[in-house]
Amino acid sequence: MATAPSTFEPGPDQFVATDTYEVGEQVSAWQDTWRRLRRNRLALVGMAIVIILALTAIVSTFWTPYEVWRQSLGPTYQGPTGKHPFGLDDSGRDILSRLMGGAQVSMVVGVGTATLSSIIGIVLGLLAGFYRGWVDAVVSLLINVFYGLPDLLIVLLIVAVTQQRGLGNIILAISLTAWLGMARLVRGQTLSLREREFVEAARSVGTRDQWILIRHIFPNALGPIIVQATFVIPAAILFEAFLSYLGFGVKPPTPSWGAMASDGFRSLQYAPHIILIPAAALCITLMAFNFMGDGLRDALDPRMRR
Amino acid sequence: MSFVVNKGETLGIVGESGCGKSVTALSILRLIPEPGKIVSGHIWFKDRDVARFSPEELREYRGNDVSMIFQDPMTSLNPVLRVGFQIKEAMVAHERFDNKTADARVVPMLQKVRIPAPKERAKNYPHQFSGGMRQRAMIAMGLSNEPDLLIADEPTTALDVTVQAQIIELLRDLNRDLGTAVVLITHNLAVVASLCTRVIVMYAGRIVESGPTRQIFNSPQHPYTWSLLQSIPRIDSTQHDKLLTISGLPPDLSNPPPGCLFHPRCRFRVDRCSKEEPPLEEVGPAQAARCWVLMKNALAGAEPAR
Amino acid sequence: MALVRVEDVVKHFPIGTGIFGGQVVRAVDGVTFEVRTGETLGLVGESGCGKSTLGRVIAQLQPATGGHVFFKDTDLVTLRGEKLRRMRQQMQMIFQDPYASLNPRMTVGDIIGEPLQNFGIARGKERERRINEVMRICGLNPNFIRRYPHEFSGGQRQRIGIARALVLNPTFIVADEPISALDVSIQAQIVNLLEDLQDRFKLTYLFIAHDLSVVRHLSDRVAVMYLGKIVEVADSKEIYLNPLHPYTKALLSSIPIPDPDLEAQREPILLKGEIPSPVNPPSGCRFHTRCPIAQFPKCSEEEPPLEDKAPGHRAACHFAGQL
Repeated sequence: MATAPSTFEPGPDQFVATDTYEVGEQVSAWQDTWRRLRRNRLALVGMAIVIILALTAIVSTFWTPYEVWRQSLGPTYQGPTGKHPFGLDDSGRDILSRLMGGAQVSMVVGVGTATLSSIIGIVLGLLAGFYRGWVDAVVSLLINVFYGLPDLLIVLLIVAVTQQRGLGNIILAISLTAWLGMARLVRGQTLSLREREFVEAARSVGTRDQWILIRHIFPNALGPIIVQATFVIPAAILFEAFLSYLGFGVKPPTPSWGAMASDGFRSLQYAPHIILIPAAALCITLMAFNFMGDGLRDALDPRMRR
Repeated sequence: MSFVVNKGETLGIVGESGCGKSVTALSILRLIPEPGKIVSGHIWFKDRDVARFSPEELREYRGNDVSMIFQDPMTSLNPVLRVGFQIKEAMVAHERFDNKTADARVVPMLQKVRIPAPKERAKNYPHQFSGGMRQRAMIAMGLSNEPDLLIADEPTTALDVTVQAQIIELLRDLNRDLGTAVVLITHNLAVVASLCTRVIVMYAGRIVESGPTRQIFNSPQHPYTWSLLQSIPRIDSTQHDKLLTISGLPPDLSNPPPGCLFHPRCRFRVDRCSKEEPPLEEVGPAQAARCWVLMKNALAGAEPAR
Repeated sequence: MALVRVEDVVKHFPIGTGIFGGQVVRAVDGVTFEVRTGETLGLVGESGCGKSTLGRVIAQLQPATGGHVFFKDTDLVTLRGEKLRRMRQQMQMIFQDPYASLNPRMTVGDIIGEPLQNFGIARGKERERRINEVMRICGLNPNFIRRYPHEFSGGQRQRIGIARALVLNPTFIVADEPISALDVSIQAQIVNLLEDLQDRFKLTYLFIAHDLSVVRHLSDRVAVMYLGKIVEVADSKEIYLNPLHPYTKALLSSIPIPDPDLEAQREPILLKGEIPSPVNPPSGCRFHTRCPIAQFPKCSEEEPPLEDKAPGHRAACHFAGQL
């Protein structure tokens, strides 16, 4: 492509101006974000760990070194050996295999909660911020009520009442506490975006309300939404681990890092690996998601200098 | 870039956005933000080279020998400090006046810039001032140390036209009464015609024309200056002709066109213009232009059809 | 023949909520004028005079607090919902800020095509053809139909905004400061474009701006606003040669002319004081606090009506023409 800034006719101006603006290759907003993300080492490390985790979770669906439920593979409480790199737990189960299974639980709960709570939060936030009035009053009331109640209480109530310990139920329960942050965020974004001139312009060309929300407001709030959702994942994983530690999480023998840590608490003195390994896995996972989230937030922030 | 500001004169630096006029002014005060820097050359103030000043010398020089006022006075004035205090601070910081003397000078300064009820106004905060008054307060601050030169970067662009007229009148009177030289940076040619005795026209980081205001406006020699003058609608015009436009866009300075930087948009270009960049040469008494063709030659032929 | 008739339009904004009722910003406080078919009516005034608000009320982007806006024979103020939406096909707006008025996440093609989509006009190939055509007419290269706004310059973005306003073939366009945010050399391009479009498509413009030089150049008639009211309306030539209202005269004298010899001789009429707050406008004639020829008690007690002082020339002043 030529780099001269214009095609030009000397003499009287043509009715059709012939500006051609050469800017080089097209750089979409997403490409730009990726470029900036790439420069953040910590975020890249975080992403790498997340990818490894996801792969582990997928692989564990059809293969683990030993079955996660098989007991007495060797002496109980045995430390790391060649055959069992992470050792055996108090029932003689292979910790590595259980760790992989637990990864699956964590990922499913994390991503599932992030998805469900985001959907709830986005819809309510958009409606509250756009229509204001009584819609906003109701949603804000809901948010404030839920905010005042302790998350653990809500989740325990749901789990106890429904008597279900499946992953789906746990995702639902945690989502019902996690939607608040997203709703607040999206409501704030919507409130400010609806005053922007391009929204006014959309209205002036006859765009209906729902399309304004879908085409104009939502896409422009996507940056902060993605960051928020990314931070919900580690929060949900931790929550689930906590539940499992207390004994309210997924039903055994499905492995969960929290439950594994709980099993190992009693034997902390003489077989610390049983609690330390799942705890370490949890820590690394949480850090990875947080670094990734931080990196995404910085990369998506339009105000930061390149 | 080379140019001269004479004692007590009013110089206008004119150009559009991106032409480098603000950067030029900022370099006089060595206020260029990172990562920009002065690569070579000198800035002579009286007999000393500002480009070689130590931080201590710079501190003494800024606000004292040379002052600057900016386009948006809201960002140059501290919103949590009273206006009178800020003006006093400007004086005390340079240790030319002690606290008591500085205090006594504040109200007369405000009076000089024609702020009504100066004693009361000195106790106000910036948000209590209107746009025009804030700009006057800035001028008062700038002149409080009796500098030899006041640089005004687009001081009236954000102001209404009646307020603009007042500020221009003020600058004119201050220049006459105090003998302070004024460098006015603007994109508004009409304002320059009103205030300045000499003009420098900039395009793409270069001076393309300079000279006494009357000469530049009555017989501009550079096609850019000429086209610019033709493209501004005048309130007193009697015919309604189509405005002459400059088609195309300013050049991308990271990938400039060969030869004269203006040639792709120039009506009067010849072959040489795309090969060699013309030097800034004298074309009349005290008038210089950077052009191979020059308007006097271009117009000697027929006037190009509008 | 009036295409748009504005009658006694009022727009107040409540600010704060006190126990005894909050205060109100009287942005537009009783404005009456008409825009004739095929003309360009320029609306000028300084900041705070209410011209942008008036533009938005006329374009029905803000609801009027009172008054009527007649488009052909329909009072737009009475329209709601779908009926109002349908009206928008005939009346469009060009916005001031070329950076803020385009959705940064939509391609140029989608931005210009959105109006077509909203009213179910043209699909597929036909839609693309219309978008291409209107882009060409506005001086944009149709090859860039899939680019995003941030890849264009300010002047080109403004062209995109104009293309968007044009694609529905409206009859009336409200242009709210369409060139203020642009560089000087680009302003002339857009001014010429607007003129050409008007000739070609027989458009009627309400051109709102603070730059009287540009307004005069583009407009057939000019209306001057001060603090929520119209103070003078006349032909653009007449308003320069024979301004009757003292504010208009002061405004004209303040506008610098790019001619150093002329400027050396001119003396701007400097108005004393500041523009009063629209929350509490002065009594009687709103301009009396700053007017060089105000006479008391008449000017501070009686509000002068906007009426004919000469054929086709209206002014709101008790002593019109005496400055």
